[in-house]
Amino acid sequence: MRRKALPLLLMLTLLLALTACGGSGKSEGQSNSGDTDQQGSKGKEVTLTYAMWDSTQAKSLRTLLDEFEDKNPGIKVNVEVTGWSDYWTMLEAGATGGSLPDVFWMHSNEIYRYASNGMLLDLTDKISSSNQVDVSKYPDGLVKIYNYEGKQYAVPKDFDTIGLWYNKTMFDAAGLSYPDETWTWDDLYNAAKTLTKDGTYGILAPLHNQEGYYNFVYQNGGTIITDDKKSGYDDPKTIEALEFYIKLIHEGLSPEVYGDGGRAEMVQNGVAAMGFFGSWNLSGFTDNEAMAENFDVAVLPKQERQASIYNGLGNAVAFNTKHPEEAWKLVEYLGSKEGQDRQAELGIAISAYEGSADLWLSSNKTYNIKAFVDMVQYGVIRPYSNSTAVWEDKAYEALKPAFMGETTVEEAAKNAAKIMNESLAEEK
Amino acid sequence: MERVLQSKASRRIRNEWYWAWFFIAPTIIGLVVLNIIPIFQTVYMSFFKSGDFGKSNVFIGFDNYIKMFSDAQVWHAVANTLLYTLLVVPVSIALAMLLAVLLNGKIRGKSLYRTIYFIPMVAAPAAVTMVWKWLYNTQFGLINYGLGQLGLPAVNWVNNPNVAMISIAIIGIWSVIGYNMVLLLAGLQEIPRDYYEASEIDGAGKWRQFFVITLPLVTPTLFFVLVTSMIQSMQVFDVIYMMIDVTNPAYENTVSLVYLFYNNSFKYSNKGYGSAIVMLLLVIIMIITVFQMKAQKKWVNYM
Amino acid sequence: MTHNKIATGVKHLFLIVGAAIMIMPFVWMLLTSVKTVGESTSLNPFIFFPTVWKWENYVEVIQQNNFLRLYINTFAMMAIRVACSLLFSAMAAYAFARLNFPGKNFFFGLVLFQMMVPTQIFIIPQYLMVDALGMRNTLFALVFPGLVSAFGTFLLRQFFMGLPKELEEAARLDGCNIGQTFLKVMLPLTRSGLMALGIFTALFAFKDMMWPMIVNTSSNAATLSSALAKIQSAYSIDYPELMAASVLAVWPMLAIYIMFQKQFVEGIATSGGKL
Repeated sequence: MRRKALPLLLMLTLLLALTACGGSGKSEGQSNSGDTDQQGSKGKEVTLTYAMWDSTQAKSLRTLLDEFEDKNPGIKVNVEVTGWSDYWTMLEAGATGGSLPDVFWMHSNEIYRYASNGMLLDLTDKISSSNQVDVSKYPDGLVKIYNYEGKQYAVPKDFDTIGLWYNKTMFDAAGLSYPDETWTWDDLYNAAKTLTKDGTYGILAPLHNQEGYYNFVYQNGGTIITDDKKSGYDDPKTIEALEFYIKLIHEGLSPEVYGDGGRAEMVQNGVAAMGFFGSWNLSGFTDNEAMAENFDVAVLPKQERQASIYNGLGNAVAFNTKHPEEAWKLVEYLGSKEGQDRQAELGIAISAYEGSADLWLSSNKTYNIKAFVDMVQYGVIRPYSNSTAVWEDKAYEALKPAFMGETTVEEAAKNAAKIMNESLAEEK
Repeated sequence: MERVLQSKASRRIRNEWYWAWFFIAPTIIGLVVLNIIPIFQTVYMSFFKSGDFGKSNVFIGFDNYIKMFSDAQVWHAVANTLLYTLLVVPVSIALAMLLAVLLNGKIRGKSLYRTIYFIPMVAAPAAVTMVWKWLYNTQFGLINYGLGQLGLPAVNWVNNPNVAMISIAIIGIWSVIGYNMVLLLAGLQEIPRDYYEASEIDGAGKWRQFFVITLPLVTPTLFFVLVTSMIQSMQVFDVIYMMIDVTNPAYENTVSLVYLFYNNSFKYSNKGYGSAIVMLLLVIIMIITVFQMKAQKKWVNYM
Repeated sequence: MTHNKIATGVKHLFLIVGAAIMIMPFVWMLLTSVKTVGESTSLNPFIFFPTVWKWENYVEVIQQNNFLRLYINTFAMMAIRVACSLLFSAMAAYAFARLNFPGKNFFFGLVLFQMMVPTQIFIIPQYLMVDALGMRNTLFALVFPGLVSAFGTFLLRQFFMGLPKELEEAARLDGCNIGQTFLKVMLPLTRSGLMALGIFTALFAFKDMMWPMIVNTSSNAATLSSALAKIQSAYSIDYPELMAASVLAVWPMLAIYIMFQKQFVEGIATSGGKL
């Protein structure tokens, strides 16, 4: 009896496995990017895969895609969300194997690699013959990101800027007036100093580029990467900005914070009174009761000039999609005035289309989100080149000792410039 | 007569060969397709400067290896990987052995203890890292709160370069103790009772029993546990990847070889260099394992 | 007598403290999962037990993720991987432990070699194979890298080597061929080893995160581990919700383990008792 138990168990598992296999195999077939319905796209339903990395947008984006599906019977859109870093691993694997999602988000850090290797469908002709997408209605800088050798490889989707988030309750208690567009670095510094008491910090100055020191570098008239693709870290203006930024830590006005590690928790719990966060955090911050109650957002302070790092995603199409027409229809809709307006109204992201951003303002009553839109006029596109991901990490590694107080800022910055230039030199 | 015997014998031998080949065929074919071919692809890749998406690779001979040997970060990663292994393997095996011995005797609540110690093993790595990150949190973490209650200063578990590796090793030990314990417990229970009874008649104490009977007879299991946990520790990745990113001050002190391989291959799209790094790891693991296999004859007793 | 009692007391004290450390992260996971965000980051006072258990966190997480689908995918994958690796590993392990044949050392070398290689290097080549077969986002893709198991072969080989040769010889004398000896005599004796391998295989399959994340990007085809990693990496400051998702991902395996742990450990023990 006992001897028979094992083979029986084996048989059972196998049986279970096989039935499960058949069951899910069928349902998965439909969600597959279209290998199954390769032939006969006419008359038959086409399913597009749309890949993205931000799950906070996924829910409201679904509403927009449902509307698209209603307007385009016969096209279904299947959204695939993968977190930021795994997204690029997944896309890389897909590109190597020639099986990219039909439509997917593109970022300034990666566009060069994908465009120059022919992984993206050239949209230039489709855009020029379209009566819905008009790239001149988008900010120039955003369009340019996705333009490689005169060809357009993605249609802008949205933009983001970085805001100064501040704890109203703590400001009130300290008798300080709230930050506004007149604020300079001195105001920021003084406020941080006043707000720093035992146990609480006035500000958060993390080792973070986009939501941190990049903004200060450009406010001071410095640069991260020059037009002829050289590092700007050894620019005296850049070093000056970094010195100001890192001083906030060394004077004890900011805790030592690295990367994303717990920044948001610190701000929402009153450990720090001010912090820099991108507009993409908005929905998370709105859902958070503690933040919604105590916080608001303002434009960034200025020094030599006003500046906020500004970036925008694009919708791109795979070069080898089996449904180029349908994929373009989706990208066209998302990039049309109507699609952009709806994206803004639904509060998915700040639409980049001229005038659409105004609709976005009414999607959130909790915060003064107009600040994010106001910053576009002096926004600086997030610095990028052909191998951004590589030198961004190298620069972090080089700057770390300065944040930890092990070397001077100047030394660290010059080292960052050296390493970054080496990596830029390897670009073709 | 002799010839008949001979041919019978050789037929038997051949018969054994065919059965053996038939038995190993699925596993070997699977391994070749799934693993061995990819390994050769990796060796091949390590001699190229990789173009994007596997296109236009340029043959550069040993340049990746030369670059690797002068890359301080690679050597840090070697040191970190070995340090992690040296922290996790001995501590987790010693503790697991202790637990297994304690639970092997007559003790109340035995199965409850066994169940609890094994629990970390059944949790998804993402869940484990998430909750530990939260426990380690400098401001809001339970651990620092506990230290505070005891009047001790808060520790920066994740960001302090001198501490982070220990924090990671603690997670490693915590997750693997139950696994090692169950294997060792199985080994202990294979030891025949009468050995102990005989030695009790001879008047041997508990400690003597442990060193004379228990330890020698559990060596086959111990060997298995040692080899597999060494290899797994050398490949540490998940926890470090989810806990320490490149902006972390402890990155240089915690980055492991597999993490470095991952960053170079996937994040910086330099598969050639990533392949060279993974070859280095492979060589190190092979040296250690071959050494263990040779050494096993000296201390492992198969009954 | 009293000496013995003290020893037992010390044993228990040690075991209880250890058990508390082992289980503490899970208790904390559960407690955090029913707190509000405010409670989870409150310092004055530090909150252990929430005043009101906020089960809405679970509702929220379940609404956002199709957990039923994830459970089905995960367990189907585990079942197939277990069945395949048990069958193939037992066959190969028996051959390596007990049969002589040309190439034995070479082939066993391959098995050992595979175990030493970091699994990350297989990801892209295996992905390309699955993709070439047009099997992305399917159950087959999840199972694919686990069809055979070097680890299982190694583990079971140890078990077969621990069995007495006499049994086998007796079977051969009775006229059993090698296949029959394996199936009828040897395999039943390694029942506990198979049980152990089955559980380990199920565990490794359950915990595998990177592979499902890359090969099955569709949220309908994800597993618990990969879905959880995605939930985490999508930026969120809502620790209670992350913990609720973790609890949902952890409990089924935990329940299965607790249900079967007796068979598991005792199965291993009985094989030794027969010597």
